[in-house]
Amino acid sequence: MIAPTYAQKLTLIASVPLVLAVTAIAFVVALQARAVADREISTLEQQLLDAKKVELRNYVTQARNGFYFVYGSASPDDGAAKSQVAQILAAMIYGEEGQFFVYDYDGTALVSPRQTDRINRNFAGETDSDGTPVVDELIRIARSGGGYHTYMWPKPSTGEDAQMITYVTSFPSWQWAVGTGVFIDDVLASGAAARSDVQARVQRTFFYIGVITVTALLLVFGTGMLVNLRERRLADAKLKKLTQRVFDAQEEERGRVARELHDGISQILVGVRYALDNARRRLERGDARAAEPLAKGIDSLAQAIAEVRRISRDLRPSILDDLGLGPALKTLVEQFALRTGIQCRFDTVVFRNRLDDEAKIALYRIAQEALTNIERHARATEVIVDLRGHRQGATLSISDNGLGLAKTRSTAGGLGLRNMQERIEQLDGTLTMQTSAQGGTEITATVPLTHMLRPPPTALP
Amino acid sequence: MTLSDTQPPALIKVMIVDDHPMVAEGIQSILESYDDINVVGCLPNGRAAIESVAELDPDVILMDLNMPEIGGLSATEILLERQPDTRIVILSMHDNPEYISSALSHGAMGYILKDVPTDEIKLAIDTVMRGERYLCTGAQGSLEPKDAARESLTEREQTILLQLAQGKSNKEVALTLDISVRTVETHRKNIKRKLGISSTAGLTRYAMEHGVLQGTGVRL
Repeated sequence: MIAPTYAQKLTLIASVPLVLAVTAIAFVVALQARAVADREISTLEQQLLDAKKVELRNYVTQARNGFYFVYGSASPDDGAAKSQVAQILAAMIYGEEGQFFVYDYDGTALVSPRQTDRINRNFAGETDSDGTPVVDELIRIARSGGGYHTYMWPKPSTGEDAQMITYVTSFPSWQWAVGTGVFIDDVLASGAAARSDVQARVQRTFFYIGVITVTALLLVFGTGMLVNLRERRLADAKLKKLTQRVFDAQEEERGRVARELHDGISQILVGVRYALDNARRRLERGDARAAEPLAKGIDSLAQAIAEVRRISRDLRPSILDDLGLGPALKTLVEQFALRTGIQCRFDTVVFRNRLDDEAKIALYRIAQEALTNIERHARATEVIVDLRGHRQGATLSISDNGLGLAKTRSTAGGLGLRNMQERIEQLDGTLTMQTSAQGGTEITATVPLTHMLRPPPTALP
Repeated sequence: MTLSDTQPPALIKVMIVDDHPMVAEGIQSILESYDDINVVGCLPNGRAAIESVAELDPDVILMDLNMPEIGGLSATEILLERQPDTRIVILSMHDNPEYISSALSHGAMGYILKDVPTDEIKLAIDTVMRGERYLCTGAQGSLEPKDAARESLTEREQTILLQLAQGKSNKEVALTLDISVRTVETHRKNIKRKLGISSTAGLTRYAMEHGVLQGTGVRL
């Protein structure tokens, strides 16, 4: 299970709302575009249909007016007149599909020039492919004074069903329904084409938005990854350098201790060995001066013990383990004051040995490092070291009245304190640097309660 | 005529507590060269010393500081609770004044460095037997009078403060630590004096505010 890094979380936080917003915008735009296009296409369709209707009505009116001189003077059963009008109507074909039709009120087709097989057959009750009554309805409309009817009708040219709109009127005394119609499938087809065109455009827009979004996201991720990689490489390099310096320091320290052991203590002990040897030989000879080299040897041993004590104190002050951080810091501060002449104050509460080993040594090293920095860079005349336990843990602060953060940062924030910071972060503690009340630097280190020991065992077994 | 009339006062019974056998043996052989000293026991750590002190009943205990199980300072306090008349001299490698003042505040009568001339060990024993303090040469000067308010609590006092802060009575504390109620009362007085606090509630609050009670299951 890989936990997302901080950078990954940040990128996610940035990209999720972006994707959501873009998606929402795309949907709203698509809906609006489709609604607007739909309305416009519908309006256009309606206008075209209206124009056709007007045209149809004009044709029919024109025809009726044209025949009035025959029809108006003929009687209802004037067969010759009827036949003459029917013949002329049958001849009035126009366009590819255009024709006039005549049904008598019984439903018998009298004129149907493009579908002559219908002539003289009765079509009462005929319906189109959708079940809409055709001839009956035409007759009804004609008898009621004329109007439009829409239905499906096979195209005379191809025989395929298509929507047709018809205007029909009547020659009342002959009981004729006369009309003409046009197919409007072309209008409907162009509407449908326009609609699918809009749909295609919307889809294309979606696609473009998607491409743009993905590109943007890839850019964000890519840049983030590049930055991340670069930072990691930098951090790695820094860490490597730091590790190298820590190793160097460690090696140097080992070298120093080895030299001190060899040049100091070894030589003294060799001297003691000679003295003891000398004393033994004098004793064997019965020489009364045996006490002299013995005394010299004992003196040298005391010197060796003092050396060991000094070296061991430099490596790790045993006072930390024996008496706790408070007394160790007190000694450190007193020795610092003595060495540098800087006025020092150490404050603490009365509890002893309450911190675990890690916390003790970390806080001690921080104090040591801080004091070294003060001595080298701060030009302070007054130092206050304070150590106390509280409800959240224990806090050590070292403040001075020296030059302050701004002027010493470059050096004070060097290897030592950064090391300390890492060390205390490993203990879940914090290390902060700020301007002290006296205008110098204040370094505050805190370790949490988890590093405070429970009080010593209460009862002896 | 009895022996005691003509003989010098009874032998001084000395117990040595040190976890380094070479050192313990060395001290023992030096002390045995004195006629008026009887080394009654060499114990390897504080716990062993506490267990056998009643039986050995020493006049003087020479105590190492840094030992496994129970260290020299804690052992000093506990030994004195059981044998208040015993004089304890701390034997140490450290000439740091903090060590010396800690030793004294835990009840030691003397403090000497292990690498002093051996005569000084005898001198220290004689001095504390007279009821006086003995601090190694060079240590006296570095011991300044302490500000009473800044005086540290000893480990025993810390233990007792914790129990009192948890609401235990003197009797309960005495029972838990296997000491007398009077001893607890003495510790309690010392704690209050050192902290400048007069009430038990004040002690509890103080312990809480300085992070002593946390993690011990006590809620306030």
